[in-house]
Amino acid sequence: MLTKPNPTDSANGRTADELLVVRCQLGEPEAFDDLIARWHRPLWQYIRRMSGRDDEAHDLLQEVWVRVIRGIARLRDGSRLRAWLFGITRRTLMDRLRREYAALPLGDVDVTELAADVEPIDIEADLASLDAALETLPTIEREVLTLFYLRDLSLAELADTLNVPVGTVKSRLFRARKLLRAAMQERCDS
Amino acid sequence: MNAIQLPDPSVVSGLEHLARTELSLRARIGHVLLALVASAMTIVVVSLWLTEPALPARTTTAFAMMTAIGLGWVAYSIWVLQAKRVMLAKQRVVAGRLASLFAAAFTLGCLALGIATTVRAAWPALAMSVLLLAVALVLWRRAEAAHARLLARRDTLERELARGAR
Repeated sequence: MLTKPNPTDSANGRTADELLVVRCQLGEPEAFDDLIARWHRPLWQYIRRMSGRDDEAHDLLQEVWVRVIRGIARLRDGSRLRAWLFGITRRTLMDRLRREYAALPLGDVDVTELAADVEPIDIEADLASLDAALETLPTIEREVLTLFYLRDLSLAELADTLNVPVGTVKSRLFRARKLLRAAMQERCDS
Repeated sequence: MNAIQLPDPSVVSGLEHLARTELSLRARIGHVLLALVASAMTIVVVSLWLTEPALPARTTTAFAMMTAIGLGWVAYSIWVLQAKRVMLAKQRVVAGRLASLFAAAFTLGCLALGIATTVRAAWPALAMSVLLLAVALVLWRRAEAAHARLLARRDTLERELARGAR
């Protein structure tokens, strides 16, 4: 149904990423501007898609960049920048979810599992795009599709980012595609 | 497919401003100086404590408290430099040079005091300041080496990218 866009400008992209990391680690101020220019958009789209609200997404974006700036000196393999950035973004999102759910009497429920159980929000009658269908998926499925198809992460990078085995990534993708197909079908039927 | 709106352009300039603030050299050097001054103060206090004979209990307590305060400031500044104001390669080189200079001046001061006066505290202070100087020199050397490694890697990557662009 979906083809993976632009199978990563792989080697050159990774080299460019590593160069950016090295320049940041050296302490070149312009390198941080370049890093922001190159990555704020994909990170914003991921955060915005996962958080669902502009104001919350802005807060999260700032929090993510503070973590990135403070942590980049410790990133050993600069070619892993993409997975590292999305990993930080994901942990920031999860921390926010944990804080929000901590206010509820849920005990020590795993937020990741909890998010998986969240019912998809109602599909509006005027769904006009695949993006809208994607928005209706549970967090985990939306996340895996967003990172794989829209952010172009490989299976290995996804496993690294999500901190799960590649097999789990595959099964999540399978389930996510199935749910998305159903959502699209429902849209067509209506 | 992609209906998510892009962030306002002001968000990007806000992020660049955030980066500038987070990377401020002044804040880092300030914490390095704090660690150095607190170390020197602690060395002086401990040296006096060790060499003053028959101290009353309240003076001993005061020395112990001043030592704890000095060590507390050293620990705080190191924590800030590791967790909040993480130093990048160039900044580590600057900090290494600064720390080595400061430690050398302090060591020479202790030596001069020991030779020119009868202040007994000068000798244990000298021993501890030599240790401080050794740590500063090791950190400086490591910072220079890490900086050189990163420069070499940057040059290699730039060449690779230039080859790929042709």
